[in-house]
Amino acid sequence: MIVAVTLSELSRVLVLGVVNGAIYSLIAIGLVLVYKASGVFNFAQGEFGTVAIYGAYLSVTILHLPYGVALIVGLAAALGMGLLTERLIIRPLFDAPRVTLLVATAGIALLAIGVEFWRTANNPLRFFDAIVDSPSSLDRVSPFGVAVSDQRLITLLVLAVAAFLLYLFFRSPLGLAVLAASQEPVASELVGVSVRRISTITWGLASLLGGAAGLLYAGGAQFSPGLITAAVLIPGFTAAIVGGITSLPGAAAGGILVGILQALGSLSTFESIKGASFVSVFVVLLIVLLVRPQGLFVGRST
Amino acid sequence: MTAAPTGTGWAARVVVGASLAWVVLCYPTNVLSPFTVAGVEANAASEAVIFAVIGLSLNVLIGYIGSISLGHQAFVGIGAFTSAYVVTEMGQEFWIAAVVAALVGAAQAALLGAVSLRVTGLYFGLITLSYGIMTQESIFQIESLTGGTAGQAAPRPIGFESDFRYYYLCLVVLGLVVFLDWRLIATKGGRALLALRENPRVAATWGINVKAYTVLAFGVSGLFAGLGGALLAHRDTNVVANPFGLNLALVFILMTVIGGLRNRAGVVVGAAFFALLRNGELLELLRVDSVFAKDPISLTAEVMPLVLGPVLLLLTITIFPGGFGQLTSTIGRWLRGGSFRFVRAEKEVQNTDVRA
Repeated sequence: MIVAVTLSELSRVLVLGVVNGAIYSLIAIGLVLVYKASGVFNFAQGEFGTVAIYGAYLSVTILHLPYGVALIVGLAAALGMGLLTERLIIRPLFDAPRVTLLVATAGIALLAIGVEFWRTANNPLRFFDAIVDSPSSLDRVSPFGVAVSDQRLITLLVLAVAAFLLYLFFRSPLGLAVLAASQEPVASELVGVSVRRISTITWGLASLLGGAAGLLYAGGAQFSPGLITAAVLIPGFTAAIVGGITSLPGAAAGGILVGILQALGSLSTFESIKGASFVSVFVVLLIVLLVRPQGLFVGRST
Repeated sequence: MTAAPTGTGWAARVVVGASLAWVVLCYPTNVLSPFTVAGVEANAASEAVIFAVIGLSLNVLIGYIGSISLGHQAFVGIGAFTSAYVVTEMGQEFWIAAVVAALVGAAQAALLGAVSLRVTGLYFGLITLSYGIMTQESIFQIESLTGGTAGQAAPRPIGFESDFRYYYLCLVVLGLVVFLDWRLIATKGGRALLALRENPRVAATWGINVKAYTVLAFGVSGLFAGLGGALLAHRDTNVVANPFGLNLALVFILMTVIGGLRNRAGVVVGAAFFALLRNGELLELLRVDSVFAKDPISLTAEVMPLVLGPVLLLLTITIFPGGFGQLTSTIGRWLRGGSFRFVRAEKEVQNTDVRA
């Protein structure tokens, strides 16, 4: 196979990768937050997004709420799901093996997917409007000839704002308490940090991030049960691993990187390989975990 | 041990044991029945038996060595496609194809096992998850190997074309797998596996070759899964890539965990339960299929395990750690002449006391 890639194709891939990667970053940041707080790989992180989509979709179609309110309802649905998961599943299993917790969160995700399938069985494909809904919103901006919709631009903006807010949060007393509780739960308890409250806060934050990712991803496109779990969860996990699983900036950068790598799989050179973007994600995950399990952006000393 | 049962006690045990054997051996195929039963379809029952094989395969990983596999649908799918390929494209007999499928399944699982030596715990779960998706989206789409979207034909072996004969074939394979699984656990290797699940470092200090036994467990799991895949392929007489998605992997996890890890009978019952729930036979059998199909509920059989399964899973994990295995072991103890006593399984606790 001759690797022949034109410059224009490469730049197209870069733009696509960054745009798609922003969603992975949002999910990955949520995964890292939960991992720091509970030591759990949260397989329900993607489902927070799908539940938010259904919440927003239902409030538009059934309750006839305005779009902005519907987005808030969607986020609230994701938040509720996150807090319930934390209270009903994570807390009772505090000292269970981590693999059991992984299975439990996968169970939560599957339950949500099952209910979505069940209630939409007659017509599983639904459409959710974009935030900016006009014909020109699809290709107002087109770097290197790639049309980037307003929805994707807003996604990048939300990612930047979320990153900035989290940066501020982890410099506030509450944020420092979260960091302390994730490193030494017993010692933090002794100096008066309520580890339970911290756990609730982190799960709340993570579910909001997941919900936002879902709403941004689905806007202007068709969605179906389990969409975010199927489309974003594995790249999101890969992004979190690439970033070193405990580093928030690493997760954000990892998302973009995984987006680009996945877009590389869609190059015409690899056309003969079926599902090349799935192969590229698997290979990246495997190589990073085998060769550099501490993540690409983290020094060896930690 | 309580006092030995009386004569009536033994009679009751024999009657119950015989009816259980009748339900498994005769009910699905409607032979040797004192009355005609519009029972489970033999094909659906075959699926239940095949799922039991797959459940035992997953039990080796999750139960015995504590390694999660979220890509088990790929293990099964590889077995299915290998067997179909050997029969259709290479013109071999089913029996050879099934052995090849089992060996290929074992080989790919052993490779993953080698990875699991370096990447453990949750991280390994991610690897298997990604591996499963990649296999379905990429390898199973290669037209020359799997026939692409049309799928690969997988005719049944000569003499087993009818549904009920094929059911007995599946039962024989399940018997073989149960026997192998029992020998694995009852011997030195099994004790080594259980020790290394508890704590690999302590196991290593006892002179257990942790690496070799881990790879062995993966190989055995892949062997079972490959066999299950071959049976599944030839039951449907055609294999396509589409069903081997993440949902199937999650159903496998559900049935194994709810069945009760490290409990052979429990896993078999759990797997059969989910297979029959999936193809709607269980509801039909209980005459409640129309209740669920009606308008306000309108819960179809395909969705049923996705809604009911996670609820059972979360209950199993949080409140009832033994799963179905607690019930089956109670019944089993009673059948062997013990008392009908319910023993709660211990909750597993994260092992943090030994650090290196």
